[in-house]
Formats: sequence, structure tokens, C-alpha cells
Amino acid sequence: MNASNNPSLSRRSWMRLAGTASAATLASDLSGLEALGSPELSQSLRHSGKRVILLWLAGGASQLETWDPKPGRATGGPFSKIQTSVPGIEISELLPKMSSRLKETAIIRSLNTKIADHGNAYQLMDTGRIAEPSLKFPHLGAMIAHELGQRDSQVPDYVSMYTSTEGRRQGTAGFLGGRYNPMFLTDQMMPANIKRLERISDVDHRDRAELRNLMASIFERKNTHPMYDAHNSAYERVRGLMASDHLFDIDREPQSTRNHYGPTQFGQQCLIARRLIEAGVPFVKVARAWWDSHGQNFETHQELCADLDHCMAALLDDLKSRGLLDSTLVITLGEFGRTPTINGSLGRDHFASAWSCTLSGCGIQGGTVFGKTDEDGQKVAEGEMNAGDLFATIFAALGIDHHKEYMVGSRPIPIADFDSEPCHDILV
Amino acid sequence: MVRQLLSVFASLLLALTASATSPQELAREIDRLIDANCPKELQADLINESAFIRRVTLDLAGRIPTASELMAFRDSDSLTKREDVIERLIESVDFTFHHRNELDTLLLRRLEHNDKWRGFLLEATQENRSWDHLFRQIMVPEDGEDTRPAAFLRKRLRDLDSTTNDSSIIWFGVNIGCAKCHDHPLVEDWTQEHYYGLASFFKRTYQTRAGSVGERFDGSINYTTVYGESLKSKFMFLTGTTLPEPDLKLAENELKEIAAAIKKVEREDKAPAAPRPEFRPRSQLVEAALSDTEQDFFARNIANRLWARMFGRGLIHPLDQGHSENPPSHPDLLDVLARDLRDHGFDMRRTLQAMALSNTYARGAHAVDPPPEKLFASSLPRPLSPHQYSLSLLIASSDPNKTLGLESDLDWDRHREELERRSESVARQLEIPEDGFQVSVTETLWFSNHPQIQSDYLQPRKDRLVGFLTSLESDEDIVRTAMRSVLSRDPSSEELEAMTSYLQDRTDRRDDAIGQIVWAMFSSPEFRFNH
Repeated sequence: MNASNNPSLSRRSWMRLAGTASAATLASDLSGLEALGSPELSQSLRHSGKRVILLWLAGGASQLETWDPKPGRATGGPFSKIQTSVPGIEISELLPKMSSRLKETAIIRSLNTKIADHGNAYQLMDTGRIAEPSLKFPHLGAMIAHELGQRDSQVPDYVSMYTSTEGRRQGTAGFLGGRYNPMFLTDQMMPANIKRLERISDVDHRDRAELRNLMASIFERKNTHPMYDAHNSAYERVRGLMASDHLFDIDREPQSTRNHYGPTQFGQQCLIARRLIEAGVPFVKVARAWWDSHGQNFETHQELCADLDHCMAALLDDLKSRGLLDSTLVITLGEFGRTPTINGSLGRDHFASAWSCTLSGCGIQGGTVFGKTDEDGQKVAEGEMNAGDLFATIFAALGIDHHKEYMVGSRPIPIADFDSEPCHDILV
Repeated sequence: MVRQLLSVFASLLLALTASATSPQELAREIDRLIDANCPKELQADLINESAFIRRVTLDLAGRIPTASELMAFRDSDSLTKREDVIERLIESVDFTFHHRNELDTLLLRRLEHNDKWRGFLLEATQENRSWDHLFRQIMVPEDGEDTRPAAFLRKRLRDLDSTTNDSSIIWFGVNIGCAKCHDHPLVEDWTQEHYYGLASFFKRTYQTRAGSVGERFDGSINYTTVYGESLKSKFMFLTGTTLPEPDLKLAENELKEIAAAIKKVEREDKAPAAPRPEFRPRSQLVEAALSDTEQDFFARNIANRLWARMFGRGLIHPLDQGHSENPPSHPDLLDVLARDLRDHGFDMRRTLQAMALSNTYARGAHAVDPPPEKLFASSLPRPLSPHQYSLSLLIASSDPNKTLGLESDLDWDRHREELERRSESVARQLEIPEDGFQVSVTETLWFSNHPQIQSDYLQPRKDRLVGFLTSLESDEDIVRTAMRSVLSRDPSSEELEAMTSYLQDRTDRRDDAIGQIVWAMFSSPEFRFNH
């Protein structure tokens, strides 16, 4: 992995090295398993190399101005729809770039998640289930990090980039524990505390960590407990995470690639997301805010959709050209959609009964639409899905058994909520 | 239910027998009941003096011992020095701060940081207020003039489920959250009737603009069972006991007036007090929960929570799973502790003192193959709480030459208050450890690279540990002094060798190197946990 610090190595040779390294890690992970052909083994192989990028549309984007347009209806608004590269599928004219790239993407138009206030809806769409007092459910990213990450990974396994409007809702790994908390990027494009202080040299920083490891190992000769192990592994990951600082540095990308993603913060963060994914980070969330258009819905969406359209298209193109799209699931989702009825301020309000999201890439049957709303978009007409079903679909696309259970005390918590089913129509 | 009744009956029987009179006797009773359940050969040896003074100071003073406290304890020839130090610590100002911080974490989590509420808790711990008294003050704050204890309810009132669940978990050790939507799938004890029964005690509570709470004259919950039946909730406690509500004898216009008065206090700061109903569900709940026949849940919960604080695991474990499918590991012991609390006016200090006096408390760890945790045959690691951790960093990085902690009372009181203030900002950044706690990379990256760690704990300033160490000539002295200050023990020869050679490799940057070995001690699990 040191090769990545050497700018003279070409990307291809770096990829080759990285590939060898991850194969080695996988092998060492499997070495503990007793027999080939055990279910655990096939499970691991199915997971290997799978990644997720979540494009989070904070505040709730309008389905009518994106994936489920209703031009000509009272609820339709001023924008028209356009034909996509997939015959028969039409989306809003505000997404022209995505319209020519729909072959990798499945649109779900029939989410009915019922909860339409930001706080609770965010919780629902981020954990896949309704909040319960006294039990902290893990976020999607934490579950993915838990399922797809390597325990001693040298790269972060859950990175979350959000904007200030969303900062109030950071979320944690809940009952999965601090090991799976996200590494946040807030106002800067670099995670906190990942850079060494100037005061200490790299050699001293390393030797100091080794002295710490020695102290810890002497202590653990007489004291054993999983909490000590977790403490040590969190310290042992520090140097690796610090060495991954280059992943956040988009100046290392050729100018042409940076141009491709564009100058917006969302674009730059999408590029960071791709760099992270490429280096083996299993889950990256990029949030774009603030879609909460109670007034001036159409101007808001004109501006935000342009950014979304450009960046999502750029990301899918880039992933595809690098051969990463088959193993990377891109989810475009928010906490809810917006009311078909247009209010007095030419806005749309919170709406959770019939809205849309998309899944692209890994495990997804692209160029498909699942579900249908009625003529005005007021209700789901076909294929109703709730948050649990969406999560089950996400897990299925990644080869994770959606019935898998976590034990919290004596209580089993299925990874996707009780009674949820994946939507096989959009899975490969 | 039958099993529950039996256990109530059993504890009533026990209550008839005499209870221990001194904390020392209670400590012996603890050991007897733990030993009865665990073969001698499985029990770990008792820890040495250095390990003991660290453990007990963390538990009773909320911080590690200062170097002077460590040395004074080790040098003492007294045969009763463990007893003496326990008594000194439990009566110290340190204990009042630490116990306050523990209660704040239990009661308010981090729903808010509220200085007035924390002030209220500090007064309570300073006068060693009993747990049942606190329960009354916090759950029925409108009975007193003081609005500060209302914070507990106020932070939860927006959501009836939070109020119900948190109250049930915190005061009674019972999580009935699962029973909201259906009878509890695993636990026959908890039905929807229990859930809504408990919720109904909170249903009428409202918040006043002035920051306290009140209760309406009517209001109940209608819910639908999984079988589709519509029911109206009763005032029902966890034991199944229901409280009858007298008929409301008020004319419609009187009710209207009352409603208007309540609306006013909800909206206006200085509104005249609204009338209070004669039947007040929350007071009813509190009195029922404390009554002789029903108080098992209340008494066992606090006994169990104090036990878990000192021993790293509940006798009932997890702490919110007090039901018949999850019996205590040591039922007799839990009964003894609960009864002792009841007989001694829910004096938490007495219970903690007795626990610290027991041999069970002073056991070491097993190097390999530890026996099941529920036997309490060896000590279990406990991550330091945010306050314990932050304070301990400050204590350890102080000049070890000062006789901190042993100074005349008044000086130390003032200094301790100052430390409490200084520890606050770091404490608030740290995660509150829960079951299965894992230190996160957020913490380890922060501890590895944040400038504050360098400036607060590792600066070679005169009045600080690193500054003092730089004044020492011999490397061995440096290592020995640092170890005593940070890890409360002497270094082994292996450690001595590793650290002196670390220093010798860096004679050109000795001050930095000394800071680095101190950092390595701080970041060891040995410092991060109470063990």
C-alpha cells in the first residue's frame, strides 16, 4: 500500500498492487475458516469487493422534478419530461445527463414510507426501520461497514460527507458499537485529526505508537477482554488511516477527471467518494442539501437537479470506465419526497406516501422502473415499497442475506426490518 | 407471573430476617453469597495495593489517585488501610462530584447539558440524599418549589413513549418497549396492557412555560391490540396492580376553566398556577412503586445498577432486562442488597462502601480462559466514563510533587472543583460507554493527533508532569515517576528497558521524547479502563 504514496507509480500499477493486497487480506480473513465450502466462505466471496456510495438528498427532493414527472397534470409543475436512453422510460427534463445514462439505473417510483417530518423520516430512511426509544439502531453505512469491511482495515470503512444543514443529524453505529461509526468530513474535505502535528516527526509518531503497542501487549498478557482488543485495534488503525489521507486529496486526480466532476462541492465530494471506493472503503455517503422546497420549489429544483444530474452522471461514468460499477452500488435517496399538490408559495411540502429513489450498478437490473404512482402522483398505484423493503433490496443487491440477525442482548434484530422483502424485479 | 409472585414472596420472607448492620457486615454477606456460587479455584487472586488504590479511587472519587495518594497508601503500615481509604474517599468532595456525574449520565444521558440540573444533583449528593427521595423529587417536581429536577421529564415529554420507556428502564430496570405494538414476544411478563398501563401515568403530564410540569384532570390512552380489539388503558404498574381512579366530579364549565388555566401556564411564563387534580397519576405511580408490596422493582433496580457500576456487570444483566425469563445470576445477593437499601433509607453511599469493602471487589483478572463473567470470579474491565477519563488525564499530567488529594480539605475542595470545570470540555466530546463498548477511531485519531492533547497533557511546563520529568536527571527516575503518575504502579524491568532506550535514542529532543513515553502510557488500555 506504500506504493500509493509514490506519485511516480502509474494508476494501473497501483491498482495491481492494491488488488494483490486485497486478495491477500481476503485470504488471511478466510484462513480461519475450517472448511472450504462452508456457508461463511461462500458468503465472504459473494461480498468481496462490493461497495456502496449513497448520494443523500437531504431535505427531500421532489419526485415530480426528478424520477416521476407528471407534466400536464395539475400537480405536474412547469417542467416537461424527456425520453431516456431506455425506450419507454421518461424522467424530468431537469435530468438530461441521467436520461442518456439510464441503462445502469433502476428507478423505484412507489416508496410509501408514511413518515413526513425530517427528524423521524431521516431516522427511518437511514436505518430502515422506525425508531424505538432505548434501542439505537445502526445506520445503513454502519451495517454495510460491518458486513463488508475488514476488521483491521487500513482504510476507513464508513466515510460520511455532509453539509452544514444536515450536521444536526450525524447518527452513529448504534448497537453495532463505535468501531462502525462514520468518519466525518464536515467543513473541510479532510477528516479530522488525520494529519500528524508538525511538532512530531513521522518516525517519532510511529515509534511512539510502537511503544504504546508494547505497553498494551504487556498489559494484555495478564488481562484479556474483547474491549481491550477493540481499543488496540482502534489504535492500530490510526497509522493506516493517516496514510489514507491522499485519498481525500483530489489534487492528485488529473485535471480532466476533476473537470468531469465539476467545481461544485457535491462534485468534488463525489470524486472523493470514488477515490475512497477504489481504495476499498465499503461505504461512502455524500450529502447534497437542501432540497426542502416549501417555497419556490421549481427554482430550487432547477438549481439542485442540475448539480445532481451532472455529478451523478459523472460518478456513474467514472465508475463504469474504471470497471467499478459492477461492484459498486450507487443509491440516490433522501428522507422523503414532496407533495404533488403545489402550495401557495409555489412550493411543495413534505410527502412520504408516493415517492422515488434510484439504485445503480452492483446487483441492479439497470434500465428498469419499479412501481407506479397514480396520474397525479398522490398515491402508489402499483408495487408499494416501504423502507424495510428498500433496505432488503439494497442488501440483496450486495449479496448480503437480508434475514441476517444481530443479537442485542437476547433480542434478535434482523438486518432489514421484520417482514421486509427485496424487490426482485430490479435485481440482477 | 407466578414466578414473579413467588419472588416477591421470597423477598418478603427475607425481609423478616435481620439485615446486616454495618457496611463491613454487608461486605461479608456479599462475599459469602458470591463464594457460594463459585469454586475457590476459579477465583482470581486479590490485587495488590497499587492496583487496589487505582481501582477504588476511580470508583469512589471518579479519577485515578495522585502520585502522593498512591505512595501514601503504599507506605502506610496500617492493617485497616483499605477500609480507611474507602471511608476517606466516600466521604470526600470527590465522591459528591463523581456520584453526581454518574447520576447525571444515568438520568439525563446527553439529552442536554443542564447546569441547573447538575447543580441540583450536586446538592443531592453533597447531602447524601436518598434514592427514593430523588425519585420523588424528579418524578413529581411540582410538589416542590425547585423546578430544576423537572429536567428529567421536560426533556422527554414531547414523546410519551420516551417518557414511559426511559422511566421504566431507569427507575425499575425494565424495558417494555417491545410490548408497545404486541405482547412481548419473548417475555411472558410484559403485555401491551403493561405498556399502556405504565404510559397512562404520564399521559396527562404537560410542561409549563416556566419550566416545570403539571397534570391535567383527565386523559387516557386508547389502543388497538394485535387482535384488533380496542382498549382503554388502565393505571397499571409493572406488577399488574391497577390503581382505581375516582370519578371526576366537576361540571363542564369548571373543566373548561381548568383547561383554560392550563393552557395559560403552558404558554405564559408568569401565569398563575393552574389547579391540580386530586388524582395525580404520576404521584400515584411513585407512591405505588415505593409501597411495601410493590417496591421490589424499584429496590432491585438500584441495587443492580450500583452493583454494575462497581463490578462491570449487573446481577441482572443487561440492566434493563429485569423479568422472569432473565433471572439474576445471584438472586439471594440481589435480595440482600435490595433489602439492605430499603432498610437503610436507600442510602447509596452505604451500598457502594460495602461493595468496595468486599473481597469480591478486590479480585484480579484471569490471564487466560476467564470463567463466565456472571460468576464474578475475577474483575471485569470497565471503560472510564467521559468524566473519569478527562479528570484522570488532568490528574496524571499534574506535577507529581504536589500532595494533591491529601491536602487540607478546603484547599483540595477548591482545587477539585476547578478540575471538574477544566475536565468538562473534553468529557463532553467523549462517548458514554455502553454495553459492548468499543473505543472508536474517532477517539484514537483525536488522541494521536489533536493539538489539544499535546497542549493540555504533554507540555513540558513547570507545574505539569512532563515539565517535572524534564528536571530529573536519570532516565530510570523519569520512567518510574511517569508510571506512578499515569498508571499508578511501578514499571517492570521490560518496560523500564523499553522506555529508557526510547529516551536514549532521542537525547537531542529529550523533552519531546519524555512527552512521547507519557503519551504511550496514556494511550494504553491500562489507562483507558478501570480493571
